[in-house]
Amino acid sequence: MGLEQYQGDMNMCCRCSCCKFIPMQKVMGPQFSYACPSIAKYNFHAYSGGGRLNIASAMLKNGFNYTDKLLHVVYNCQLCGACQVSCNYAMDMEVLEPITEFRFKCVEDGKTSPALDKAVARLRKTGSMLEASGRRGDWAKDLNLKDATKEKVDILYHAGCLSSYDKDAQKLAKTTAQVLQKAGVNFGILGDAEMCCGSRAYQMGYRDDFLKQAEKYMALIRKTGARTLVTGCADGYHAFKVLYDKFNFKKDLEVLHTSELFARLIKEGKLKPRRKVNLAVTYHDPCRLGRLGEPYIHWQGKKIPGDKFVFDPPKPYRRGTNGVYYPPRDVIKSLPGIKFTEMTRIMEYSWCCGAGGGVNESNPEFSIWAAKERVREAIATGAEAIVSTCPWCEQNFSTAIKEMNSSLKVYDIVELVARAI
Amino acid sequence: MAILSRDVYKEFEDVVGPENITDDPALMPSYFNTEHAAIVLPGSTKEVQALVKLCNKHKLRFRAICTGWTGMFPRGIVLFDLRRMNRIIEINEKNMYAVVEPYVISAELQAECMKRGLNFCIKGAGSNCTALLRGHGHMDQTTSGDDRNHLAIEWVTPEGEIVRTGSLGSSDEWFCGDGPGPSLRAILTSAVPPGVTPGVFTKAAIKLYHWPGPTKFPVVGHSPRYTLSHIPPNMMARYYSFPSVEKMWQAEIRIGEAEIAYELMGFNAAMVAANITTCNEEDEAMFKRLSREVQGPGFFIIIAGNSADDFAYKKKVLENIVAEAGGKSLKTVEDPEIEGILLCQCIRISASIRETFRPGGAFNSIPIMGQRDLTIKWAIGAGEAKKPLIEKGLIVDDGGAFFGWGVEHGHLGKTEIFCKYDPSNTEAKKAVEQWQKEQTARAFKERYFALTMGDQTEIGPALSNYHIWWQKTVKAIDPNSVTTESGPLV
Ligand code: SF4
Ligand code: SF4
Repeated sequence: MGLEQYQGDMNMCCRCSCCKFIPMQKVMGPQFSYACPSIAKYNFHAYSGGGRLNIASAMLKNGFNYTDKLLHVVYNCQLCGACQVSCNYAMDMEVLEPITEFRFKCVEDGKTSPALDKAVARLRKTGSMLEASGRRGDWAKDLNLKDATKEKVDILYHAGCLSSYDKDAQKLAKTTAQVLQKAGVNFGILGDAEMCCGSRAYQMGYRDDFLKQAEKYMALIRKTGARTLVTGCADGYHAFKVLYDKFNFKKDLEVLHTSELFARLIKEGKLKPRRKVNLAVTYHDPCRLGRLGEPYIHWQGKKIPGDKFVFDPPKPYRRGTNGVYYPPRDVIKSLPGIKFTEMTRIMEYSWCCGAGGGVNESNPEFSIWAAKERVREAIATGAEAIVSTCPWCEQNFSTAIKEMNSSLKVYDIVELVARAI
Repeated sequence: MAILSRDVYKEFEDVVGPENITDDPALMPSYFNTEHAAIVLPGSTKEVQALVKLCNKHKLRFRAICTGWTGMFPRGIVLFDLRRMNRIIEINEKNMYAVVEPYVISAELQAECMKRGLNFCIKGAGSNCTALLRGHGHMDQTTSGDDRNHLAIEWVTPEGEIVRTGSLGSSDEWFCGDGPGPSLRAILTSAVPPGVTPGVFTKAAIKLYHWPGPTKFPVVGHSPRYTLSHIPPNMMARYYSFPSVEKMWQAEIRIGEAEIAYELMGFNAAMVAANITTCNEEDEAMFKRLSREVQGPGFFIIIAGNSADDFAYKKKVLENIVAEAGGKSLKTVEDPEIEGILLCQCIRISASIRETFRPGGAFNSIPIMGQRDLTIKWAIGAGEAKKPLIEKGLIVDDGGAFFGWGVEHGHLGKTEIFCKYDPSNTEAKKAVEQWQKEQTARAFKERYFALTMGDQTEIGPALSNYHIWWQKTVKAIDPNSVTTESGPLV
């Protein structure tokens, strides 16, 4: 069905421009009022959620006219979903789905971005989107972790590509494992057998590669017998929880983000943050843990003919209401000595770190531009550090901070938890 | 095929830079599905001026837009998207005005104003639109509306001259629209984007008003159900229904005389339902519920006191007036959660997206200006004419209702009625257009001023032949006919 299934949604676009901004009652002034990095950077209406729908809808009717500028529009979107939330405050229509479908269509038609082609070629060849040096499971050497392919575990910990291969990000996987060990959790890893979840291939527009990856990986996960999968990567979380569900791979696998598991462990008294952290922090909601991390809703129905854009059965929209917002905040607030302040754009209307949608690979300058905007917002709170729950966010913020010569620190939540226990 | 030759394109590009211009046909559909000669993104008044001069040089028509919700866009124009001109230049607390560039949206300016105990007129088009938009809005009772709120303006004329009107024409001050300095009110106040600007407004001063509410609303929850953690002190929102239109009007006029309403919005039950619900299905159920709860036509009102005593006084006066007119408060709105949603929705958002576009994706409206009790009578007729369309299932059932409000606590105001429908249903579209045409014609015949009235040559003779003067004026300020006209003119 592809893009066609969203023709009705795209026609609903009233061109109100709400998708450019955070929800109106949350706008606190001209600073930090934009929700969409793409329109904020590139200015032409085409770069907004609505503009993308207007173009896709017109092209469905009149034929696809791929130009360099159009492809610039298509690939310079983090697929962060902020437009969906702001639009769906008032409207009943899909926004992010048709934007994503349009990108799939470009890839199907061979209108790709060379940088993304390269990343996906690497995935096909090496099983990872990243340039890998060493083996995937190297980060776990000396930690004495259970091998889930050999031992039965309750929880399977998925480190993800970045935390497995990137020398800076490996500390997150290591620290997570150590915290889980301290809490006495029966968990294991897949080590060298761990795979890429496929999320980033999906975001880049390569649906088939994602599907192949998901099928292979789920077969392996199922083999381990683990009932719960935990990951500290927001991209991975979104893939396992939402995309694997959407394409019927997930079945009854419970998917948790490390922040959710930590919040649970703290509540149960299995993790006891006692040591003072003494830091003024703010928290950045990763798009794919926050608004896009809300459960997928399976639905099939037909438009009811008549005066309204309504369906039988009623169509539920993923409006960002049920994203994972509180567990990370609960964890942060439970750490002794932490002073916590919110930024202007939070939770469902959070500003993207810039790394998503393949933008990291295809246009690093734009990706870091978005991260800098977030760093400025964090600094405005008076915080000494910005905390996130995704290695991609942390990587982007670190680069932005360095380029800005800022003294702001960036931490993943696991690093702070480890300091407190 | 590119409309501009590469040489001409280059001239425009030299003004704004290559990243701020495009004539790529693939991007055009995001700008109203029309073939434009080019889209340009000027970043300053100087750039606007240079672009306008180029348009004159090459006899190219142009039009400027802000967020660019709607409008008419003829083929081949150079479209100025003012997105880069988004600075609040000044908020002058002492003299109570704000100076903004065109792409400052109302929500941004209002948030800044509220921090300073000030507010301004958020137009009905919504706080997602430019703050310098001309028009009326929910808070007209206290923030007035339309051209009454424009002070000095910086205007790039259709020939590319920069004109500073009002006090700005003789000093660096923005406090007055009419002098000392050129007023040009008659020409300019129908001209704020996205109206019929002959030329481009690059900055404008907007009148600010006292805001008795909080510096920011205590919004909690998640989209799409934002509520208030508590009703701010000395504020109250209610919906009253009345046994008859006459009784409702009696209450409205007396509330105006008493000057107690911060906002009085002649909502109907359908609009209340739309505003407090998060999807179409919920909306439909809520409308049925409210239709059973109301006794007749009604209005939504916000009372805001400057102190507890002031609030108590206003509340008491309101209760007396409503009681004498036989009004009944809607229990649903008395629920603090719903009351909070409406308070924030009607003051901070104003946009009626939930009540206009959400159901079917389109609506056609007839707004008429004038004395409220008379325009209400016209609207009753237009509402009756809607009913056959509702019965046929062509438009959304809102009970045939209309809405409206007074301006500056007075008896003059705006009354409006619309039909919501699915524009892909050609039968519905045709029927709605026919309804709009007939009811507009009836308004004109009965000597009401409807914003949907037709061509100036058609209505001009009934309005002192203003169109002849207007055309002469336009010819004088736009000798090369480079500006486009669209939307209401008068
Ligand atoms: S996508 Fe939604 S929010 Fe954006 S312009 Fe269209 S209707 Fe408005
Ligand atoms: S997904 Fe994000 S970057 Fe893309 S259009 Fe929507 S808000 Fe903008």
